Amino acid sequence: MTRTLSDYDRDGIVSALRAGTLEMLLGPFATRIKGTEPSLIDFLYDTYRDVPVSASLSDVTDVAINIRPPSWFRQYIRRQVIPDPGFQVPAVPLPSHMSPLAFEMGVNLVVALKCCRLITFHAGVVASDKGAILVSAGSGGGKSTLVSALMQEGYHLFSDEFALLGMENALLASYPRPVSLKNESIDIVKELAGKEWVSPVLSGTPKGKIAYRRARPDDIENANGKAETKLILFPSFNTSGEHYASRVSSSEAMMRLIPSSTNYHLLGEAAYLSLSKMVAEAEAYEISYGSTEESLTIVRDLAAGVGL
Amino acid sequence: MKDAWLKALVGEVPLPTDLLERSKLLEFADSHHVLGQMASVWLPEVEGKTRDVIDNGLYRATFDHKMLKFEMARIERALEGSGIEPILLKGASYVAKELRAGEGRRVSDIDILVSEKDLDEIERLLLAAGWVFDEATDNEYDQNYYRTHMHELPPLRHAHRRTVIDVHHRILPRTSRIKINSNAFISGAKNLSGRKLKVFNEIDSFLHSAIHAFGDGSFDTPARTLIELRYLLADIEVSDDGALLDRAHILGGEEPLALALWALSEFFDDGRAWVLSERFKVGTNPIVRWALTSKLRNVTDAKFAKLILYIRSHYLRMPLPKLVWHILTKGYRRLRQPAVLPLPPGFE
Repeated sequence: MTRTLSDYDRDGIVSALRAGTLEMLLGPFATRIKGTEPSLIDFLYDTYRDVPVSASLSDVTDVAINIRPPSWFRQYIRRQVIPDPGFQVPAVPLPSHMSPLAFEMGVNLVVALKCCRLITFHAGVVASDKGAILVSAGSGGGKSTLVSALMQEGYHLFSDEFALLGMENALLASYPRPVSLKNESIDIVKELAGKEWVSPVLSGTPKGKIAYRRARPDDIENANGKAETKLILFPSFNTSGEHYASRVSSSEAMMRLIPSSTNYHLLGEAAYLSLSKMVAEAEAYEISYGSTEESLTIVRDLAAGVGL
Repeated sequence: MKDAWLKALVGEVPLPTDLLERSKLLEFADSHHVLGQMASVWLPEVEGKTRDVIDNGLYRATFDHKMLKFEMARIERALEGSGIEPILLKGASYVAKELRAGEGRRVSDIDILVSEKDLDEIERLLLAAGWVFDEATDNEYDQNYYRTHMHELPPLRHAHRRTVIDVHHRILPRTSRIKINSNAFISGAKNLSGRKLKVFNEIDSFLHSAIHAFGDGSFDTPARTLIELRYLLADIEVSDDGALLDRAHILGGEEPLALALWALSEFFDDGRAWVLSERFKVGTNPIVRWALTSKLRNVTDAKFAKLILYIRSHYLRMPLPKLVWHILTKGYRRLRQPAVLPLPPGFE
């Protein structure tokens, strides 16, 4: 029987966080969290409310993250936090009220730097029973907006920051952490999903305005799911100029995906074979659009074409 | 780190059953670069999540070993016809010889040793074959510092493959207080079968590792160092124990060996190391032993012990006036140009 975070009272969560034994189970990764910042506790309570957690460990953890002040005096004067996974990571100290961002960035970094069992790509993924759509774009490329919009179309959220590709079976693994929204996309997603699904906005962060779109209970119930990739999208948001969808060959799709992986180079032949299989079984497109509605029209069309 | 962790890393005691402690041990192993070595011991025994986590370490080691084997061939190619046959040191040699100490071991830089008379030639040949001086040390001060004082050339990084070679011409820095007979080390090395690369025998490998661990540097990778020494000592036939001690007197570095034997008997309860250290009769400094113990048991803190080991490592390296000037220069440069860690793709 799994208990979700909202099944615990606040004291239970606070003491588990203080002891550093709060275990969060989501998809392939178990995360152990430590921290005392009230902004972190509020964030977890809100944005991770439907995620299975345990106040003590049920097994060893893949990821450990401690949200703590960078030095002792930063507990008191101009309070700051950094994510500390127990090894050196390139993270900048943030004002203490931005601990949600420190947490999200910290966990992403640890997954990217430690995970070798799955090939990690910087991409968003949504899926139905019939297969997955992988959205590959750099920061600010409209990936999270498109992922959020596709969630409203009835797809499950698989993951927003990572496409996690298995090496034996070339299937994507689900890891439904909240979708991270920046600047203009926050209002767009509030409108699409309803503002109760979006966390309070953090302003003035190094990435601008940030908010998180919570994963839905059925996305999380599906967190052990696997999906075959049917559609690979390289979107670009473009208010002027042509709007189009143009087919990208399998080999080119592969060459575009490889640089977005944090561990492809490390995994050698197994990664090559798995990625080759994935792109061979999917159709890849570069798409360009000027509005979310336009992007959905294009993607609906392409999805129908591959039987999604 | 608890003493039991060290033994668990080499499979001499079971993994902790407490899940929090086991998680912390796995994280310790990862951040101290011995997760792969731990995996080579435990992978067949464990299942579930423990297996998932430990497995990550083996992927990295496998990648490193592939890289190493490729680079070994490239080094031979670069030196083709020159008659220079470099000696692989440390991790590279353990992996090449398929020693226990090489299983699951991370290898980042490739350390090689050549006679000092071959140094100019090997530098010229490697530069011609695509290696360049690493950006971090490609400046007048560092180039000068390495060439005047150190036991190696400034690190060479391959321009395309980004792999690093450290070319050594002696075992310890020129100015080191510990005097090592580098020529005896070099003349004792034998070719890897069918290759133009050499390796030390078991005794010299162990002695070199001990000198590296306790005669140079400040014990910054305690777990890795001790595991390596543990496996390397086990590779020496017990009947060669006398030869090991004799060889230490020929090569020099008696104090590092005494510290290595002490550490193995202290932290692994290694009876053989204890007997050897009784026979060897070379004393070790109690303050150094205290600092090593503190640094090992409390890797995240132990500030005073770390300071002592840091000062010792520099004291061993060079005379005081040079040392002061070097530390001031380094410190000034660090202030002007703090080290920056690179971000993985997608995190810009």
